[in-house]
Amino acid sequence: MTTVAVRPADREPEPQAQSRDKLVVRDLSFFYGDNRALKDISVSLPERSVTAFIGPSGCGKSTLLRVFNRIYSLYPGQRAEGEVLLDGRNILDRSQDLNLLRARVGMVFQKPTPYPMSIFDNIAFGVRLYEKLGRADMADRVEGALRRAALWDEVKDKLQASGLSLSGGQQQRLCIARTVAVRPEIILLDEPASALDPISTAKIEELIDELQQDYTIAIVTHNMQQAARVSSRTAFMYLGELVECGDTQTIFTAPRERRTQDYITGRFG
Amino acid sequence: MTGATARRARNTLMMTLCVGAAALGLGALALILGALLYEGLSGLTLAVFTEMTPPPGEDGGLLNAIAGSVAMTVIAMAIGTPVGILAGTYMAEYGRHARLTAVVRFINDILLSAPSIIVGLFVYEILVRRMGHFSGIAGAVALAMIVVPVVVRTTEDMLLLVPDVLREAGTAVGAPRWIVIRSVSYRAARAGIVTGVLLAVARISGETAPLLFTALNNQFWSTDLNAPLASLPVTIFQFALSPYEDWQRLAWTGALIITAAVLVLSIAARALTARRDDR
Repeated sequence: MTTVAVRPADREPEPQAQSRDKLVVRDLSFFYGDNRALKDISVSLPERSVTAFIGPSGCGKSTLLRVFNRIYSLYPGQRAEGEVLLDGRNILDRSQDLNLLRARVGMVFQKPTPYPMSIFDNIAFGVRLYEKLGRADMADRVEGALRRAALWDEVKDKLQASGLSLSGGQQQRLCIARTVAVRPEIILLDEPASALDPISTAKIEELIDELQQDYTIAIVTHNMQQAARVSSRTAFMYLGELVECGDTQTIFTAPRERRTQDYITGRFG
Repeated sequence: MTGATARRARNTLMMTLCVGAAALGLGALALILGALLYEGLSGLTLAVFTEMTPPPGEDGGLLNAIAGSVAMTVIAMAIGTPVGILAGTYMAEYGRHARLTAVVRFINDILLSAPSIIVGLFVYEILVRRMGHFSGIAGAVALAMIVVPVVVRTTEDMLLLVPDVLREAGTAVGAPRWIVIRSVSYRAARAGIVTGVLLAVARISGETAPLLFTALNNQFWSTDLNAPLASLPVTIFQFALSPYEDWQRLAWTGALIITAAVLVLSIAARALTARRDDR
């Protein structure tokens, strides 16, 4: 169960179907105080592919995502029970270093959240936490991340401008760039395009398609067409339960469960 | 028909009352500024900034009072700002849900509105009486006690305005809590916190009551913080109440100087806030 850090260059073409599970969730329950928001969820994220979580508002899909990097730990009264295994190690364990976990499991939020600093520093911020890079190496890293997020050409002449001066779609790509810059293994996307216009949304989706070659991706989305477009696996959640999870193709054309069928055909939700 | 007329009459009445109240406030302010300028401007010579406070009947300035005020303000801010910012940071960041925070916030609000003469009496009891004499340092401590609640309040308020999702974003790249606070929360709230600190400066630069019981006053040039120290507000208080016309002149000029200084600080605070809104 050991992992080797995978560099883009070392990557080999892999069989589409049986890739290894990067993250395995077993019997996970989540509580906001006394309110049980997730009920015995079991699901897994195959390595270097996109898994989409769909379902009506309040079904717990964002909550589930927030367990994967334990961002919920910021708030008292929120707790998770069960197992979430990242490369075989339970991240819910008391001994888990949360900062290191979050460096391995990046997250992009619904609303663009640039830090109140320059475009360059927005990206360098996370890198500086764990690596001491020289000036030139850092510049390379920042450029690489911005290129990866398809933002470089738009900002290369104003890296010292405030991250807040960019448009909404650019800000969201900046957030993706800074997540990529720290070289995580998993990227969590919490409705990353719901606050964006269609053109920006298309760019983000293209980006997700490219990123899955190197990263394991989990995306929460309200938009079923988006789930169908970007993901290879889809999980349908309803009222805190995971109803069904399978190949995106299967979920959208021949779901096993009645509730899944009702939701994707728009009968409720 | 009558309904409409009555409504219009009520509207006119309310409008007149509102405009009248606004005019009253603005008018009073204009009168104060006008009187200050009229009475104080003529006395605003170079001598005011270069000579000591004179005995009655002689020429002089306000140098020792200005220097004393600046010294005590600087020390008070040096003590009060870090205490206030750190306490506000605890309340908004680390201890947001803690019971201690609610208690501290309640006490702080009381301190914020406590009459400043009480602060003066308190410091008189704990410092002046024990030391056996009035001193500049006691004055600075009294002023610092006025600074702390102002800075605590603005720091907490401004940090609470920083959206949680921004903290989450900082946390999500693996930054520990204190780095998120330093590099994300403080940056996002910087203009507001600086404004709060400047407001505290403005607040204490005119305080007289706490200084009467602590720093008292001094006719002469002094840099000894362990001895009575002159200050602008106390000098104005003393000179304005005196029967001597030249002292009264100097009091007007001193009042003008304080007002101008506070005005400049307020404008600086405004400018900082405005710059935040631009972005």
